[in-house]
Amino acid sequence: MTGFLDSLLNGLALGSVYALIALGFVTIFKASGVLSFTHGSLLLLGGYLVAVLHDDIGFAGALAVAVLVTAAVAGALDRLVLQRVGGTDPHAAHVQTIVTIGVDIVLVTDLARRIGGDLLPLGDPWGSAVTDLGPVTVADSRVAAILVSAVAIGGAFALFRFTPWGLSLRAAAEDREAAALMGVRLTRVRTAAWCLAGALAALAAVFLVAFPAPGLERTTGQIALKAFPAAILGGMTSPVGALVGSMLIGLTEAFVAGYQSDLHVLGEGFGDVAPYAVMVLVLLVRPAGLFAAKGAARV
Amino acid sequence: MSDPRTLLLKRGPLLLVALLLCALPFYLDAFWLRIGLFSMAAAIGAVGLGLLSGTAGQLSLGHAFFLAVGAYGYVWLAGEPGPGLPPAVALVLAVLLAGAAGGLFSPVAGRVKGIYLGVATLALVFLGHHVLLTADSVTGGFNGRSVPPLELGGFTFAESDPELTVLGVPFGAEERLWYLGLVLFAVTWFTARGLLRGRPGRALVALRDSETAASVMGVHVARYRSAAFVVSSMYAGLAGALLALSFRRVVPDYFSLALSVDYLAMIVIGGLGSVAGATAGAVFVTALPLLMTRYADQLPLVATPGSGGGSIGPTEASRYLYGAAIVLILLFAPDGLHGLARRTRARLSRRPSVTGPHGSGPSPAPERAGSDAASDTPARAKEHTP
Amino acid sequence: MSTPAAPAAAPPPLDVRGVTVRFAGLLALDDVSFTVAPGTVHAVIGPNGAGKSTCFNVLSGLYRPSAGTVRLGAAELTRLAPHRIAALGVARTFQNIVTTQGTVADNLMLGRHALSHAGFAASALRLPRALREQRAHLAKAREIAELIGLGAHFDSPVALLSYGDRKRVELARALCLEPRVLLLDEPVAGMNAAERTRMTGVIEEIRAELGLSVVLVEHDMGLVMRLADEVTVLDFGRAIAHGTPDEVRRDPEVLRAYLGTAGAGEDAA
Repeated sequence: MTGFLDSLLNGLALGSVYALIALGFVTIFKASGVLSFTHGSLLLLGGYLVAVLHDDIGFAGALAVAVLVTAAVAGALDRLVLQRVGGTDPHAAHVQTIVTIGVDIVLVTDLARRIGGDLLPLGDPWGSAVTDLGPVTVADSRVAAILVSAVAIGGAFALFRFTPWGLSLRAAAEDREAAALMGVRLTRVRTAAWCLAGALAALAAVFLVAFPAPGLERTTGQIALKAFPAAILGGMTSPVGALVGSMLIGLTEAFVAGYQSDLHVLGEGFGDVAPYAVMVLVLLVRPAGLFAAKGAARV
Repeated sequence: MSDPRTLLLKRGPLLLVALLLCALPFYLDAFWLRIGLFSMAAAIGAVGLGLLSGTAGQLSLGHAFFLAVGAYGYVWLAGEPGPGLPPAVALVLAVLLAGAAGGLFSPVAGRVKGIYLGVATLALVFLGHHVLLTADSVTGGFNGRSVPPLELGGFTFAESDPELTVLGVPFGAEERLWYLGLVLFAVTWFTARGLLRGRPGRALVALRDSETAASVMGVHVARYRSAAFVVSSMYAGLAGALLALSFRRVVPDYFSLALSVDYLAMIVIGGLGSVAGATAGAVFVTALPLLMTRYADQLPLVATPGSGGGSIGPTEASRYLYGAAIVLILLFAPDGLHGLARRTRARLSRRPSVTGPHGSGPSPAPERAGSDAASDTPARAKEHTP
Repeated sequence: MSTPAAPAAAPPPLDVRGVTVRFAGLLALDDVSFTVAPGTVHAVIGPNGAGKSTCFNVLSGLYRPSAGTVRLGAAELTRLAPHRIAALGVARTFQNIVTTQGTVADNLMLGRHALSHAGFAASALRLPRALREQRAHLAKAREIAELIGLGAHFDSPVALLSYGDRKRVELARALCLEPRVLLLDEPVAGMNAAERTRMTGVIEEIRAELGLSVVLVEHDMGLVMRLADEVTVLDFGRAIAHGTPDEVRRDPEVLRAYLGTAGAGEDAA
């Protein structure tokens, strides 16, 4: 029973962190049709900034700077690079997607070089503290992950629903051409989307490397890719879908890891790759994801 | 269709390059031969990915997985533990095995399109890596397995057995594998160009440019998508087997996402959708880090390997370079090296002058361009956008 | 079940019965029926957004209607995927030009796809039969290009052609399928007067020489009046009138729904 509750809490914590990243994917995709393969490096950038700054300006300050800088870098990437690629080519979004891979190579190479073989602590306030919640003991970092993510995700949903930007975003996702005709400033909408996604990625970094993870390492960015299955399961355009997909992925990973000994046929460390297995299984049944908008019967 | 002179002019350069490549082992040392060998293996894989991502427009980040299937397939089939088949048979079966692996994924590859497939194929790399680490009875686990040398009718592609000296040059593993690589690459070149210029190639281009147009012209969309995936996997399998033979040891960590991204870089840098471009890109991405490592002490800003301390090593320097190359090429020359070469050639000969009744000149207008602005028809309904 | 597409043989009738298409609650086509008699030109006209292109997308299998059937002879098209419909000899052009990268020859050869067989293995190995097939179809494609007046541009990249020529590439590509039924979606839209005259001539010629059925969506009433044997008028997804061009022109409901709104567009050519 405690094993079950442990896994459940771990899964929820992991899921809420994936949700931060997956929401970023979805936001960017809705605004521009681009799949961001730069997210790994954005995440790494956010984590790296917190790691090097927290000694001097404290954790909260470092986190604030990291979130702002990562958002700015993501926005600049969109405005200065991606929006200049492809022009009127109907495949422009695809070309831009490949550009995000190129950018990721450069950023990850640079950050990995700076991090080297080290494990950088982020100096987060919850450290390795644990709290007893009834029968289970949870790391404070997990609780913090769930709470902070819930607030951030709620904030993002409020932005989607109640701001003019959110409306523009939905209009752009429906029909880019029509939105442009109706006066939606697509360039701004999508740059803002990238900024939001960058900020969420930086936030996610903090929880991904918090206890019981050992700290920030050069490969931390790859974890961002696990949010891709989450976003794909949600159909890529649905924030709610991304949220559900993230929870599904997080819980799967946690339960597979938690019941490792019963699942030894799958091999050690299968939990790490379980999200991808889930993605393939879902795509086999529903190639457009679980929450894809059901449009006209367009064959 | 063409007289022998023009045929020679057309085929001449290709023939000359082939002759040159055959002569190189007599002049180059092992270091350069290894660069060439890795480049040829990479080129085979890149041609395969180019067919899928460049021609058919289906992004794949799972190429490393199929390279691994080819490499490990060969090692297991020809080795011990394993059935210990004759290596040449194992090589052919390894390619087929990679194709079969691609076929198993076809329910996804046939229905998931474009950049989405890129995400779906991430699964292959990570799950594949996990299997390579876990199934140690077949793969040797983390430490991998050593690769049995290829043997063809008593001739071994290794240091000796039989000893061989041609024109005073001792033929070791590098020299022998060079010719093997050359033959396999020639096969790749021949088949891939046949595909691209034939009926399947046109169908794949149509699929990429407009799925709607392709389907109403009779192209079975899902089947062609899957087929492109399978064929691309087979080239990857061949490349993987050749890489295994060159490395003489296969380890799981080599077949990572970064390797998939390397192949993507190759075809983007070379120019999507052309065999020559994929080859050029493969040589660039493969040779760059090796050359940088070799000449690190003579390059500004680049530290020799192992000097550490946050300095830029040759591997990093080359990754910066080709990461930036992807971005810059897509920003300024989306058709890559191949397009650059073609445009230079066109400028050197003469500009094509195609002027239609519209007098719109040779500016390539993309489909659906609003060039009918000056027309005298009533506004057209926008109810159908394929 | 399909007979080889021989241009001389009369095509089977194309029978559209009670076709209804719904997009997220919006009724794009509402119980539309009409029959295209073998070897005739049947025009589908109507104001913008009347459902003409939706109708074409149903005919070519891109949309699956929520009700109704489309039959070509004995074959029911509504159950078939687009590539199967193409194999039955139904070819179409698009309102917005949809060509693929490459030369005119490449595009026309795509039109020969359904009629040729070389697969991946045969093409990769350049088997003699694949090469022979390719040569034969290339010759046929060149013939069709000449017929449409694209002979001079046969090896030019499509992207370099003028608008009118690219429209003709689409038509030629459709003809390369050796269709029994040809669906033309606004074949002269966006063309200048000279190009229109030329295109009209080409369509008349095709019809006379190949004896196929043509379904035509067009705004240019001049062209419709000149080419069509029969006209179906759509308005808000409903078929409001059928008849010869003359009958339709005098139909009061048509005048109100279509010509009234299109106003100056009437007889533009």
